[in-house]
Amino acid sequence: MNILYFEFLKLRKKSRGWLGPILVFILIMTAFPLTVEFLNEDLEQAFFSILWIAVLLVMMLATEDIFLEDFNDGSLEQLVIHTESLSFVIGVKILIYWALIGIPVSVIGSIYCLGITSSYEMALLIFPVLLISSYIFLNLFCFGNSLTLTKGSVLGTLITMPLLLPLLVVLGKVVIAINLGLNYFDFLILLLGVLSIIIVTIPLIISFVIRAHLE
Amino acid sequence: MIKKFIHQFASPKTYLKQVDKAYSFIFFTSLSIYLIAIFWGLLLTPEDFVQGHSYRIIYLHVPASFISQSLYLGMAFASAIFLIWKVKLSAYLVRSIAPIGAMTTFIALVSGSIWGIPTWGTWWAWDARIISTLILFIMYLGLISLHDSFTNNEKADKFLAILVLVGSVNIPIIKMSVEWWSTLHQSASITITQKPAIDPSMLYPLFASAIGFTGLVICLVILSSKLHILDRERNKSWVKDYV
Amino acid sequence: MFNFAFSSISEAILMESQNGQNHGIYVWSVFFIVFGALILTFCIYKNKIRNLSKKIK
Repeated sequence: MNILYFEFLKLRKKSRGWLGPILVFILIMTAFPLTVEFLNEDLEQAFFSILWIAVLLVMMLATEDIFLEDFNDGSLEQLVIHTESLSFVIGVKILIYWALIGIPVSVIGSIYCLGITSSYEMALLIFPVLLISSYIFLNLFCFGNSLTLTKGSVLGTLITMPLLLPLLVVLGKVVIAINLGLNYFDFLILLLGVLSIIIVTIPLIISFVIRAHLE
Repeated sequence: MIKKFIHQFASPKTYLKQVDKAYSFIFFTSLSIYLIAIFWGLLLTPEDFVQGHSYRIIYLHVPASFISQSLYLGMAFASAIFLIWKVKLSAYLVRSIAPIGAMTTFIALVSGSIWGIPTWGTWWAWDARIISTLILFIMYLGLISLHDSFTNNEKADKFLAILVLVGSVNIPIIKMSVEWWSTLHQSASITITQKPAIDPSMLYPLFASAIGFTGLVICLVILSSKLHILDRERNKSWVKDYV
Repeated sequence: MFNFAFSSISEAILMESQNGQNHGIYVWSVFFIVFGALILTFCIYKNKIRNLSKKIK
């Protein structure tokens, strides 16, 4: 619990860390209808693609320096030495980032969905999908960021982007499933299953990578 | 006991010596098998009823895509061995297989897209198997760039191994994509459990072409690993005697 | 000796099929791309090994 509170305070102080990605998301979603003709039929179809890509990009932005600050001021090394399970601390850190960035982005995304499709049911069904997918994106981008921790470049994040493309395909299918009223809950369970595996394994892998960096 | 067994064969010096002995044999047999298979497939097999003569690209496309996925599985296996038993030779092999994998995936993508023009009418379709193979190609390039961006070689090897293992989730997606999603791409004609859906006269040159191409790719991996081992171990004394 | 599917060399190059299209261009372009890539890769690696060996000596 202490760790949770401590990490929350750290992130809340760094306002550009969590407010920035949310504002970028709002910017993208607001600018999107400007590029399409007003009252166009295709607006609705293109909206969901833009939504998933915007969430992807915003999560990539959010994890840009998730470990870098700690690495630079030495607290990462302290964590490696002192705590018994580094992976738990990393899991908590990712959870806080998701709570401060992922949840608002999902809420705002659902509101935009309501605005474009004018159907409460659609927006309500999209909301859990957004929550889960933003958490999965966040986890994988953190893994990518940790690979090139010492360089501070986006190379690691870019390299893990191909791993997320199958998830984007699944998300596209979810939208079609909602539209046709098909097996939405099966997709939700699939996403929850993937999320549960990722929540457990990614912090473990990241802790291994960070230990390798600090040797 | 397993540790002793692995460490016995894990020295790059003995690896290079053994591989040099086997290289000419593998190269010439696989080249002859491949040329015979291509000649047979392109000129001797009968015309397909549905696709006409363009189906002959199968003898060039299928071995390439099969090999590109198998190379990634080989890389994943070698990465696991490196992370568990710390055998340096495995790390060298992972790094040297990556460019060859990228090349075979490139061949698979290009031959597949050229085959798409007479069959489907389009040279690109965003269906699951094509996208997953494109992802595989991008992953190979990403692996090479990640390894080369580090100056410290040991760290680079470790991170490469981790990334290979995390990315190996893509391989089942490629293999199963044709069953899980209704796609434009043809489903598997050759499975272990059922009778092949392809005529025997067209099947035998396909097998021969696959065997020949595998042998040629093994030769390329041998050359690539030789280059990488000589580069990484250039300060050791045995390298000067070897060259 | 062999039962060729094509009766002359020009037919083998064009590969006209039942629906009237000439499939030869597709098949032969893939053939040249694949073999070109293989030969190029072999040559590149042999050259690199030769240069590296010279540098080490």
